[in-house]
Amino acid sequence: MTIHEPDALAKTTRINLLFDFYEPLLTEKQRTFLKYYFHDDYSLGEIAAESGISRQAVYEHVKRAEQVLEGYEAKLNLLSKHDAMQRLAAELERKIADLPIDSSFKQKLLEDIEQLTKTEMTEVTNHGGI
Amino acid sequence: MAVRIRLKRMGAHKAPFYRVVVSNSRSPRDGRFIEEIGTYNPVAQPAQVTIDEEKALKWLQTGAQASDTVRDLLSKAGVLKKFHELKQQK
Repeated sequence: MTIHEPDALAKTTRINLLFDFYEPLLTEKQRTFLKYYFHDDYSLGEIAAESGISRQAVYEHVKRAEQVLEGYEAKLNLLSKHDAMQRLAAELERKIADLPIDSSFKQKLLEDIEQLTKTEMTEVTNHGGI
Repeated sequence: MAVRIRLKRMGAHKAPFYRVVVSNSRSPRDGRFIEEIGTYNPVAQPAQVTIDEEKALKWLQTGAQASDTVRDLLSKAGVLKKFHELKQQK
């Protein structure tokens, strides 16, 4: 296992974020392999040893689950919308700070923005899978 | 038993945060780790990385295997370069 995945860090970051959005749509098996590989950073070899299947089979499972996540993102864009929302909220906060208005009114506006982003951050509670 | 350096995901839903931890290859998934040597926060703009260089070098020199993601982090933080330089001095 001397081949190093290029941009492993960027990939882990992205897949873990996608996982947060689409976890309820994954099967139990897909969740398990993604968690081992991307949440806990186990190597394919370690996962293979732990689950009693070949390294190649683990690779196929992980690869397939990644594709499923990217497939959902391509259709639903939840992550890209989330990113856009976070950027806009930060931008608004900066603009509000510079406004020549009463500080208690500023506070109110900042709270509204927080409420807005919080709503969007809420976890989907149905983890039943499909 | 092989010692590995890997990322461990922490943080809130949709706001991941990672610890860089040293653990045994065979410790159970949610199990303990030997030592924490850094953090990585990809949500911050720009992403924030902290690495305890002294500890990282110590583990690398004793043969700990870094995962691909940790290698990325260590090389960004300049720790891998230092590790190779130290190796060449010997």
